[in-house]
Amino acid sequence: MNKLINEIRSNRNTDRVIKCDVPLDIEMDVRYKGQKSTNIPNLSENTLLRHFTNLSRRNYALSTTFYPLGSCTMKYNPVVNEKIAAFEEFSSVHPYQSEETVQGSLEIMYELEKSLCEVSGMDNFTLQPAAGAHGEYAGLLIIAGYFKSIKEKRTKIIVPDSAHGTNPASAALAGFEIISLKSDENGIVSPENLKAVLTKDVACMMMTVPNTLGVFEKNIAEISEILHQNGSLLYYDGANLNAVMGIVKPADIGFDVMHINLHKTFATPHGGGGPGAGPVGVKAFLKDFLPVPVIVKENNKFKISFGDKKKSIGKMKAFFGNFPVLLKACAYIKALGGAGLKEASEQAVLNANYVLSSLKDKVSIPAGSVCMHEFVLSSKGHLGDGVKTLDVAKKLLDYGYYAPTIYFPLIVEEAMMIEPTETESKQVLDEFTDVLLKIIEESVSNPEILHNAPVNTYVSRLNEVEAARKPKLHW
Amino acid sequence: MNYIPVNEQDRKEMLDRIGVKSIEELLALQIPESLRAKKLNLPEGLSEQELSALFKNYAGKNKSNLVCFRGAGVYDHFVPSLVDEITGRSEFSTAYTPYQAEASQGTLQAIFEYQSMICELTGLDCANASMYDGATAVAEAVLLAVRTSRKNKIIISSGVNPEYLSVVETYTKNLDVEIIKIKIDEKTGALDKNVLQSMLSDDIGAVVVQSPNFFGVVEDMLSLSETAKNKNALFVTIVNPASLGILKTPCEYNADIAAGEGQVFGNRMHLGGSTFGFLAVKKALEWKIPGRVVGQTVDKNGKRGFVLTLQSREQHIRREKATSNICTNAALNAFAGCVYMACLGSSGIKELAETNISKARYAFNAIKKLEGFEPLFANSLFFNEFVFKTVKNVKKIEKALLKENILGPLNLGAFDKKYKNCLMFAVTEKRTKQEIDKLTDILNRA
Repeated sequence: MNKLINEIRSNRNTDRVIKCDVPLDIEMDVRYKGQKSTNIPNLSENTLLRHFTNLSRRNYALSTTFYPLGSCTMKYNPVVNEKIAAFEEFSSVHPYQSEETVQGSLEIMYELEKSLCEVSGMDNFTLQPAAGAHGEYAGLLIIAGYFKSIKEKRTKIIVPDSAHGTNPASAALAGFEIISLKSDENGIVSPENLKAVLTKDVACMMMTVPNTLGVFEKNIAEISEILHQNGSLLYYDGANLNAVMGIVKPADIGFDVMHINLHKTFATPHGGGGPGAGPVGVKAFLKDFLPVPVIVKENNKFKISFGDKKKSIGKMKAFFGNFPVLLKACAYIKALGGAGLKEASEQAVLNANYVLSSLKDKVSIPAGSVCMHEFVLSSKGHLGDGVKTLDVAKKLLDYGYYAPTIYFPLIVEEAMMIEPTETESKQVLDEFTDVLLKIIEESVSNPEILHNAPVNTYVSRLNEVEAARKPKLHW
Repeated sequence: MNYIPVNEQDRKEMLDRIGVKSIEELLALQIPESLRAKKLNLPEGLSEQELSALFKNYAGKNKSNLVCFRGAGVYDHFVPSLVDEITGRSEFSTAYTPYQAEASQGTLQAIFEYQSMICELTGLDCANASMYDGATAVAEAVLLAVRTSRKNKIIISSGVNPEYLSVVETYTKNLDVEIIKIKIDEKTGALDKNVLQSMLSDDIGAVVVQSPNFFGVVEDMLSLSETAKNKNALFVTIVNPASLGILKTPCEYNADIAAGEGQVFGNRMHLGGSTFGFLAVKKALEWKIPGRVVGQTVDKNGKRGFVLTLQSREQHIRREKATSNICTNAALNAFAGCVYMACLGSSGIKELAETNISKARYAFNAIKKLEGFEPLFANSLFFNEFVFKTVKNVKKIEKALLKENILGPLNLGAFDKKYKNCLMFAVTEKRTKQEIDKLTDILNRA
C-alpha cells in the first residue's frame, strides 16, 4: 500500500545522532525556547530504505527508459562522473577555505570556463548561476549594467513567441518590458518582423538557436546586424546548444551574451528537477559586469578574484556555483574531447532527423522536413475523434516510454516536441517510432484506450484540476 | 570516450532512410556556410581510466577532510549513509522535472514528503519544492513580500548572512524595491526592537530577520515579529533548520514567510554548492509563492497520487507575469534533505539541536577561559556558532590549526575591518570532545 512517511508508525528508539560526549547543556530563556514538537515518525533504516526504494520504482528515468523530452536534452549521464563528483577531496571542502587549500576544485572550474569559451566562442564565463533561467537572469542583469554604464536608457527586450517561458519571466525580473515577436510561417524570426518592432529603447533580443522548433535561424547574420546597428545586443539561450557544438559558435554568429545549461548539453543528471548549472558567457566588452567572484590563474596558481566590484552585477547565489554539476560537465568535456563534442552534436542531429523521417508522412511537421537536434510535430487532424496529443503522451507511458514535451511551444497546436539525443541507438529509435505510429492508428480505431491511458503506470490519469482547486500541499 | 551507441552500419541505414549522403549534408541544408565554426581547439578525449586518474590528480590538490570549525552559512554535519544510497539511485537522479505525473510518482511523492516535513519543521502551511540555495530563497522571499504587501520598502537586518544580502541586492537592483538595512546592536550582536520600532512606518512592506544571525546570535523573534506586525509589516524569517529542534519555530512567532539554507540537512559542503534553499509561507500566501509546488490528488480510480500544482503561477504558463522565472531548482538536494529528516525523525531532530548547542557551549566555555580570547557578544544566546575577539595573531592561529588538519574559525576581519581580530567558530554535532579539546589546546599555545 502506498503510504506516506507520516502514515508509518514509529518503530525505533532515538539513537540516530552521535552520542553527546560533553555534558548536555540546553537551558535557555523561555523567550527563545521552542515549545512545539514536530510530527515526523522515528523510523528504522530498513523501513526507510524500503519506503524510498519503492518510491524510486514509480519513476521513469533516463536510466530506465527512452526519455525524448524535447528541449531538455535527456542524454546519457555518465556514471563515472557521479563517482568522481563524490570524491571526499571535493565533497568535504568548505567554501571559505583558503585558495591554497582548494587548488584542485579551482582548477576544475578554471578548466571548465576555458572549455566553455572554446565551445561558444565567448571570451569569459561565470559559473555561478544555478540553472538555465538563473543564467538568463544573470545575463540580462549584465546587459542592464552595460547600458547603465554607457548611460543609455534601454527598457525593452524582444522575445520571439517560440521562446521558452523563462525568457520573458527572466526579462521581467530584470526590470525590462517584453516585446513578443511573432515567428514567420517557417517558425523563425524574420528580419522584416524584427524591424517592425525594433525601437531605440530595445536593450536586446533573446534567441534560441536552433529555436524551440528545432530550426536553425538562418537569417541570424542579418538579424545580428540589424540589432547591433540599433545599438542593441543579442542574447543566446543555450538550451539547444547540443545541436551545434563544434558546428557553430554563438559568439561567431553575432551573440554577445549567452547561458549554457550544463544539465542538458553537458550530460549532468537533472535530479528530478535539479540541481543544474547555467554558466553565462560574454564577449570581452562585458567581462567586468560578470558576477563575482571569478577564478583567475596567476603564476600557475588559481585565485579567487573579486575584480572590479563597481561594475559587477554582484552575486547571483552564495559562493561559486553548483560545484558537483560543474565538475561533472568538466569531466564530460574531458572524456569526449573536441572531436567527440562535435560528433555528439552531429549524431544528435542525425537521430532527430531519422525519427522525423519515419514520422513525417503520418503527422504534420510545421517547420518542414529537416531539423537540427529536435523537432516539433502537430498531431492536429491526425488523431481519432476527441483524442488529444495529451492522450498520445499518456499512452506512450503505457508502452514504457517517457513522453515528449507537449505543453510547449505555444505557437504549435497539439504540439509534440521530440528530442532523441545522440546517446540513443537506432533500435531504440525504431521501436519508439513504431509505437508512436501504432498509437496514432489506435487513436482512430479505438480512441477509448487513449482516453483511458495510462493503465500500466503506478497511478492512472491524475486529476490536476482538483489538485489546483483544493490545494493539499502537505500531509 | 563518447557515449554514442550507433555504429557505421546503423549510421548508413539512417542516412539512407533520411535520403542524404552524410550528416554534413543535413547541416549544409540548414546552416549557411559562412556561419560554420572552425575545429574546436580542445584536447583529445580520454578513456574512463584516464579520466579518473586526471580527477584523482585534481582531488589531490585540495586539502580536504579537515576537522571543521568553520561555518558562516555552510556547516559540516554528519550525513547518514542512507541519504547517499537513496539519492544516488538513478531512478531519482536521472529523471527530469516531473511533467508526466503518472510516470513520476516517485519524485512527486518525495517532494510532497519534503514539503510536508518543511511545514512540520517551520509550522507554516505551504512549502515549495526548493530554491537554488539559501541566498536565492531569501531573495525570492523579499520579492514575495513585495508582491504580497504591495509596498516596495523592505527592512532587512544587517545580521543577515552577507552572501544572502549581496544576492538580495542583485535581485532587486533593477526593480522598484528599496532595501533598508537595520544595524545590529554592537554589544549584543542582536537587533534592538526599539531601533526597529523607530524605523517602521506604514510604507514598510516587510521586516527580514535571520536567527541565529550571521554572527550566531539568536534573535528575540517574538518581540521583533510583534513590533513588525504592529505596523502591518510582514515578518520574514531566515532560519537554520538544524536549530529548530530547540529554538522557537517560525509559526511560534507568527512569521509570514520562512526561508533558509538546507545544506545542513543531508548535503555535503562541496565548496558551497549544490545545496538547496527552502521557502515556506502561511496559507494566505500559497498562490503567490514562487517555484514548483506538489499537491495531492486522486487518479481516475480514486487512488491517491501527486502532481505539480498551482501551475498558473509559473513561467511556462504565465511567462512575464509569473511569480518567478525559476524552472530547474535543487530537487535532488532537497530530496537529500527529505531523506535526512526522515532518518532523524522528530526525536532525532531534537537530539541534533541539543547536541549542537551542548558541544558549542562546551567549546565556548573552554575558549573563554583562554588568555587573549574575549567573546564578542558575551551575554547573548547562540546556537552552534559564536565569535571571539583575540589579541593573538589570527594568521598564525589559522596556520597552526591547519598543520593539525583543523579548519579553524573564520576570520571576520577579512570581510569587514570593523571585525578585525574576530574569529567565528562553528561547532556541530560532528565534532568530538577530543577534537574540541585539541582546538582549545592549539589556540592556547598559538
